[in-house]
Parts: sequence; C-alpha cells; structure tokens
Amino acid sequence: MTGALTTGTKAAALAVIVGALCLLFEGLMPWIISFPAAWTLPLTNWVGTGAGEALALIKPTARGFSDLMSYPMDWAKLGLNAAPWPLILGVVLALGWRTGGVPMLVLAAVGMAFVLASGYWEQGMNTLALVAVSVPLALIMGAGIGILANEVPRVREPVQVVLDVMQTVPTFAYLTPLLVLFGFGPVVGLVASAIYAAPPMARNVLLGLQRIEPEIKEAAIMAGGTRRQQLFQIELPAAMTQIMVGVNQSLMAALSMVIIAAVIGGFNDIGWEVLLTMRKGWFGQSLMAGMVIVVFAILIDRMSGTLAQERKPQFDSRIGWGLVALGAIVAVVTYGQLGETSDYAMLGPVTKQVDAGLTAFTTANADWLNALKNNALFYVLLPIRIGLDQAVLPFTWGFMWTSQMSLWLFAGAGVVSAGLIVSGRVMGGLIVLIIAGILETGVSQLPWPFALVAAGGLAWSAGGRKLALLIVALLASILLAGLWERALLSFYLSGVSVFACAVIGGGIGLISAVSPMTWKVVRPVCDMLQTIPLFVFLIPILMVFQIGEFSAFLAIIAYAIVPMIRYTRQGLVETPEEMIEGAIASGATKWQMLFHVRAPYAAPTILLGLNQTILYAFAMLVIAALIGTTGLGQSIYLALNKADVGLGLSAGAAMAILAFGADRIVQGFAEDRRKALGL
Amino acid sequence: MMRKTFAAALGAVSLASMASAADLGAVDQPIKLAVNEWTGQHVTTHIAGEMLKAAGYEVEFVAAGMMNQFQAIADGDIHATLEIWSSNVSDEYAKKVEEGTVVELGDLKLNAKEGIAYPAHVAELCPGLPAWEALKACAPLFATAETLPAGRLVDYPADWGTPGADRMTGLELPFKAVPAGSEAALIVELKASAERKTPLLVTFWQPHWAMSAYDVQFVDLPAGEDACFTDPAWGPNPNAVNDCDFAASRIFKAGWSGLAETWPAAAEILTNYTLAVEDQQPMMGAVDVDGGKVEEVVAAWMADNEAKWRPVVDAATK
Repeated sequence: MTGALTTGTKAAALAVIVGALCLLFEGLMPWIISFPAAWTLPLTNWVGTGAGEALALIKPTARGFSDLMSYPMDWAKLGLNAAPWPLILGVVLALGWRTGGVPMLVLAAVGMAFVLASGYWEQGMNTLALVAVSVPLALIMGAGIGILANEVPRVREPVQVVLDVMQTVPTFAYLTPLLVLFGFGPVVGLVASAIYAAPPMARNVLLGLQRIEPEIKEAAIMAGGTRRQQLFQIELPAAMTQIMVGVNQSLMAALSMVIIAAVIGGFNDIGWEVLLTMRKGWFGQSLMAGMVIVVFAILIDRMSGTLAQERKPQFDSRIGWGLVALGAIVAVVTYGQLGETSDYAMLGPVTKQVDAGLTAFTTANADWLNALKNNALFYVLLPIRIGLDQAVLPFTWGFMWTSQMSLWLFAGAGVVSAGLIVSGRVMGGLIVLIIAGILETGVSQLPWPFALVAAGGLAWSAGGRKLALLIVALLASILLAGLWERALLSFYLSGVSVFACAVIGGGIGLISAVSPMTWKVVRPVCDMLQTIPLFVFLIPILMVFQIGEFSAFLAIIAYAIVPMIRYTRQGLVETPEEMIEGAIASGATKWQMLFHVRAPYAAPTILLGLNQTILYAFAMLVIAALIGTTGLGQSIYLALNKADVGLGLSAGAAMAILAFGADRIVQGFAEDRRKALGL
Repeated sequence: MMRKTFAAALGAVSLASMASAADLGAVDQPIKLAVNEWTGQHVTTHIAGEMLKAAGYEVEFVAAGMMNQFQAIADGDIHATLEIWSSNVSDEYAKKVEEGTVVELGDLKLNAKEGIAYPAHVAELCPGLPAWEALKACAPLFATAETLPAGRLVDYPADWGTPGADRMTGLELPFKAVPAGSEAALIVELKASAERKTPLLVTFWQPHWAMSAYDVQFVDLPAGEDACFTDPAWGPNPNAVNDCDFAASRIFKAGWSGLAETWPAAAEILTNYTLAVEDQQPMMGAVDVDGGKVEEVVAAWMADNEAKWRPVVDAATK
C-alpha cells in the first residue's frame, strides 16, 4: 500500500480536506450544515403536479383495467369462500402429496389445521384470492420483461434500473397514486403486489435464457425454426428450472406485499385483521393472524420450491385425486352442517396466554431492559446521530462536552492517524480522521458538501467515475428537493441498524456454519421473521422499549438481519472441497481454516448478504414510522395519509436513491473481491 | 361506473332541509357504508346500517381506511362514512367537498373530548393530579432517555397534528412531546404503563374503549375558550396562546354526492342519525374488552333502545 496513491486513498484524502474545511467554517457559514431553504427547488410540488396530470391522463384506461380485474378477483374470492373447507383441505393435501410425498402431506395437514383453528379461515381465503390473481399478473409482466431484455440486448441496462426501482421504492410511496388511478378497492393491492413481485420473475427468466448452453441454441437454429419457435419451443423449456425459481420468489414477494396493501382496506383479508388487532394492542391475536400468513408462505414456498428442482420426485397421481375426491365427498355429506369456519376457532386461550406471558416478561425484566435501552441510546445511538458535542450532557454521561474536548478528540485522532500514515497505512490513517469527524458532528448533522464528496469518493473507488457522478447527482437532487435532513435521519437509522445486523447476523451466521444443530434452530426463526407481517413485531418491542428510535432500531434489525445470517452461513459452508482438503493437508486447525480459507472465499457471498440487508433495512424504515421515527419513512407515511402524491413520490424516490447508492457501492466492492478471487 | 354520470349534477342539494317523508329510491341497489379501523366507528356504522335495513334497504359494509376512503366516496364506490373526527380528517376530504363529489351529512352529535390524560395509577405517583399545576413538579418522574431532563408526553401521531406539544408550550410545562406514530403505538404505551404501573402522560380522546380498559383520566386544564387560542393574555400564561384545554372536536358524517338522488329516504335517515357517547362507549367495551361481535352487540342495543332510533327511520319513511 505504500507509495502510489490508489483511487480510494485519493478520495479519502479529499473527503478529509473537505470535512476539515466544513468544520472550520461552519461557524461563519451556517449554510454548510443546513442547506438553505431558499436554495431548494419546489421539486416536490412539481412531482405532485406532473404526476397529477399524468394520472388524470391514464386514469380512464386504468379504471377500465380495474373493472376488468375485479371480475377474476371476485370470482377467486367467491370461489374460495363458497367452497366448503373440507374440499379446499382435500385439494391442498393433494397438492402437498403431489409435490413432496408424505412429509409435505403432513406439513400441509398441520398448516391448514392451524389456519382453521386460528379462526381466520375466511380472511385467509381472501388473502389467497388476492395472491391467486396478483401472481399470474406478476408472472406475465415479469416474463415479458425478461424475454424483452433477452431479445433486445440494448434495453438490458435500462431494464435492470427499472427492476431496481420497482424493488426499492417503498410500496407506501406509490399507494396514493395507485389509489387515484385504479379507484378504491382490492385492485390497488393487487397492482401493488404485482409491481413488487414481477422483478424476481424477470431477473430469473433473463438469467435462465442467458445460461442456456450454446449447443442447444445452435441446434435450435439448425432445425430452422423462426425466432419465436426457437424461443418458445426450445429455449424457454430449457430454462424452465431457473424460471421456476423466479415463480417461487414471485409468490413469496406477492405474499409479503399483500399485507402492506391491506392498509387501504376493502378486502377483509389477513392484513386488515393484523392491522385491526394491532390497533388494539392485542399481541397474541395479531401474532395469530400473522402466523396464518407464515403458514401460507411456508406451504407455498416448499410446494413451489420442488418445481425448481432438476429431477422432480414422482408421486402417484391417483392418491392425489383420491384426496380431492375424499374432500369433495366429506363436503357433500356434511353440506349445511359445517357452520361458519369461525366456529372452529379454538386457539383463543393460546392468544391470551401469549399476551399474559408478554406482560409477565416485561414486568419481570423491566429494569435491565430499560438499562439496556438507556445505555444503547446514551453511549451509541445519540452520539452517532447528533454527535458527541451534543449527546454528552450532565444527565447522560455525567459531564458536559466542551469545545476543548472536541480539540482533544481531533488531536488524538490526528496523532493516531499520523502514526498510521507514517507506517505506510495511509488509508487507515485517513479513515481514522473521517470517523473522528463524524463522531464529533453526528450523522444527522453532517455538512452536505462533505457528505457529497465522501459518497462520491466511495462510489468512485467502488465502481469508477460513472457511478460516482451518478450518485453525486442523485444525492444533489435530494438536497435540492429539500428532503436532505430527513434523508440523513433515514440514512443514520438504517446505517446503525445495518451495522448491528452485520455484526450480530454475521456472528449468528458464523455459528450456524460451524454447528449444524444451531442452524436447525435458527432456520425456522429466519423463515418466520421473513414472512410474518412486519407490523406484528412492533407490539412486543413497544411494550418493552416504548415509542422512539430504539424501538425502531430493534424492529429494523429483527427484519433485516435475516439475509445477513443466511448469506454468511451459505458463503462459509459452500467453500469448494479441494480448497478445504488443501488446507487440511497443510495442517490448518478448524478456526484457522474458517478465517484463512473459508472467510476470504465467502466474502463475495457475505457482501451480497450485506447488500440484501441494506435493502431490507430501508424497506422496514417506512414501517418503523408507525412507532414514531422521523425521517423519510415518516414523510412517506404522512403523504399516504394525506393523499399527497408529490411528497409521497419524492420521499419514496429519495429513499430509493439511498438504497440504490448503498447497493451499487457494496456491489462494486463485491465485484472487485470476486475478481481478486478469480471467480 | 354508470352512477357517476348523474352524480355531478347533485353536488349542491341541501340535505338538512328535508324533514318530511321521502321516497325510498333504488331499494334494489345496496347502500355501501364504510367500515374504518376503529371499533367505535364499527358500532356507529352498524347501527346506521340496521336502521337503513329497517327502512327497507339493502346494506353492504365495506372495509376502508379512514384516510383513504374519500376517493372511493367521491367515485360512488362507497356511499357514506359515518364517524369523521374534525381533529383527524385528511386534506382530501376538503378537496372532495369543494369538488362537490362528497357532501357532509351533518353532526353525529357524539360528544367527544380530547385532552392530556394518564392511566389512574399515575395519580398515586404524582399526587397533585388531576390538577395540571401538579405536572410542573412531577415532570422528572415522566422523563425517559429520549427526553431527559424534561418529562415525556406521548403525543398524537405526527399526521394528526401536535396538540399535546402546543399545550406544553402554552402552559410552559417541562415536557417534551414525542409523536406516537400510530394509534396502535398509543394503545401499547397505555397498556404497558397500566400493566407495569409506570408513569405515563398521553394525548388521548374519548369515546375510546381504552378509556375504561386502562382507567384513563384527563388532566384538568383551563377551559378551552376561543380567546385562549387567539389572545396570549388569556389564561394562566400571559405570554402564550394554547394555555388551556382542547377546543371541542366535532364528529360528523359524509356521503357520496349522489346519495340523496338515488336513495332519498336513506339520505334523510343518515343525515338525522345521531349517537351519544353514553350509548357508544359501553358497546365498544362489549366488543373490545369482552370479545363480543359487533353485529350481536349492536343487535342487542337496538332491541333495547328502539325509542332512540325508530323515530328517525319513521320520520323519513312514513
């Protein structure tokens, strides 16, 4: 690292200089810290007006589509609700048998029995009706986009950007315009979940088509079919396994979005039920409703997951039909005697016990939990947010922060940094200086010139000049739109959460990789955290930690930690055999192997996990607004409630910009790492 | 979609002037009533629905978000919503009324009260309550990590405004208001406080089932007269406005502009329909605390209190 300066060091040096200048002149020029309102452009209003006009233009078409879609919706809802439950049970069991034999049959039986016993059968069927219509829509949309990107290489790059936008702009941000377009009712939820569920399908279709062996393509060309014949008769079937992965991912995405869309109401589905019970603060009941979604998600995931396997297991179709027939017979015999499905609810006592348990737990452990929260806030979260100069107060740290202390801090950092630079670690020295500066100032009060330069520099070293320019331009648009302070708050909250996820999740992933027993326990917990409606977590967290930032921090971690755990384990476990054998031959211990062989090899996979964690954390920010956070999430939620299209879209775009920037920078570093490993 | 074509012409019809028996109108088309997110509104709406059924109408209850329902009402997808709080109504409502696509259907006369409140056990911790002056000395008791050294007031979610924070400033009380984010968060705070006997000060309102479930009491503040909000000299703090209780909030009903044309008698029933807190709050308790079904609770009340609703139906139909 000595001698020649890399792009990274140059960028870091520039950031240090700009940061130091900002600190020096912040007293003289307050506009360095808070971007003057007079310099902002009424971008939000322009977006509102522009979107309003565009919406008015396509509204008639959209309303037509809405009317059209309401037929299959009503049919699905009516069909699933009118069918007696023994018949539906028979069909689900048959599907379970056909896709996975006896184990899947048992899983399906237990799952559906739980749905019936929870008392939410009707709401569950309505949710399934929504998924049943939105998923085909998402699949058609996704497949169309994927095939288009495959056939016309020129559009591939813009298509990737569109897919990113579809996945990163929070759904809450575009619910209002969708409501104006499609009118009130479940069709809005349908469209929202289709928008969110289409990208995984599109990506997998494209990936599948690109991965087809050249020999197969050549054979298709030799056979002399038209392009369309080649595509539909040879290439798509050859890519079917990969496409099925897309179908599976689409299903899961649609299921998770159905809940969010319930905020609008109009369908009496599980999401609505979760919202109602949560409003009353009934944890047990909302957990029960949430678990119905988890059951559906697990069944759909496992059943559709077998579709993606290369060699599908074969199970006797006669038994499947037998199960359907049995269900039908039971339904006919018991016709008129089954009563309401809600009569089968028998888990009421369980929900009461869950509530009582939560109360007992919070009462018994209030003291240390409170101490945990106070310590985390005083010594970690507040200093990072508003800086040591404001967070250190007599009643938090026991003394008052003075400007001398700031000087001492900078002097100390300067000494450490000089030592590092002299010993050749220039980059390390510069980073120490940057961290000291950020700690003193606080993330939410970072001077904007410094933030732009630092982000640009980071992007430059991760992905080159083009990425740096793009990211600086996008961030500048947030600045001009007057959303900067809120964006910094969101960045701070998701940043600390992602950091905590990386440390804790990485640790859990590591342990899971070493000990298969731990993974057996961790895996179902991960499944549940990912599929249960996010709202459900908020109640117990609030019960213990009250409204505010710390609760939001925990809620984000609960959701965003999952990919970190999964990918860390995945990366560490799948190190190629020959590398391990080589290490064993050279006498490496278990831990040496982990840190020197497995960890470097797993780095790209772990970085991908980090990337997913970042996206998840941003997705959860909007939900966290429900427990009183500030920042972009709150703006989006506010805009939804006030039906303010301009603010909703702008704040959503700002959120997407932050997520997009973080994503591209991490991916850039992962790419370098992969190249270094020769992958 | 057909209904919209004649809806536009009707915006200006004054509903309040109709007092005599009216036409039933299109009895074969169901009247759709919005069911929002809270139980009080469910009770209000189901009583109205039963009254319309008694008059000979078909009624459908449609689940709809409070804030998002007005577009649907403007489009005639939902025909009426029966419990709008003036303190918590989206800007969209005003827009739609101006457009003439949504019309107000008069007061529900539900006697609502908003205020600064606390669960009853807090009076033991801060003995001067309910007098507001007691809060000055007790403030450190309510302090948390986020608000130190000030006490913490859990205020309404940000999108409902900041009435609690305004009171604290007006009365110069050493409290910092923290927006709750959602009604659910407010309820969970109340629940946790009641269960753990911890101090809590919230901005809250009645009728609400939690008032009785957690024995919530209001702090006594100087009466919220008009002068308090305009004249700093008024009230205990000579230098600020808002040094008093909340202004009374109004609870009213609204409907689709085509309502009176399509179902004249129904419009009259809904316009004249009122409900008292003393009737609504016990029903909310029966649903939320005792776990009853809204339909059954409402049916029982209607059977016992025919004198309270039958005359409204009869006036419109006979």
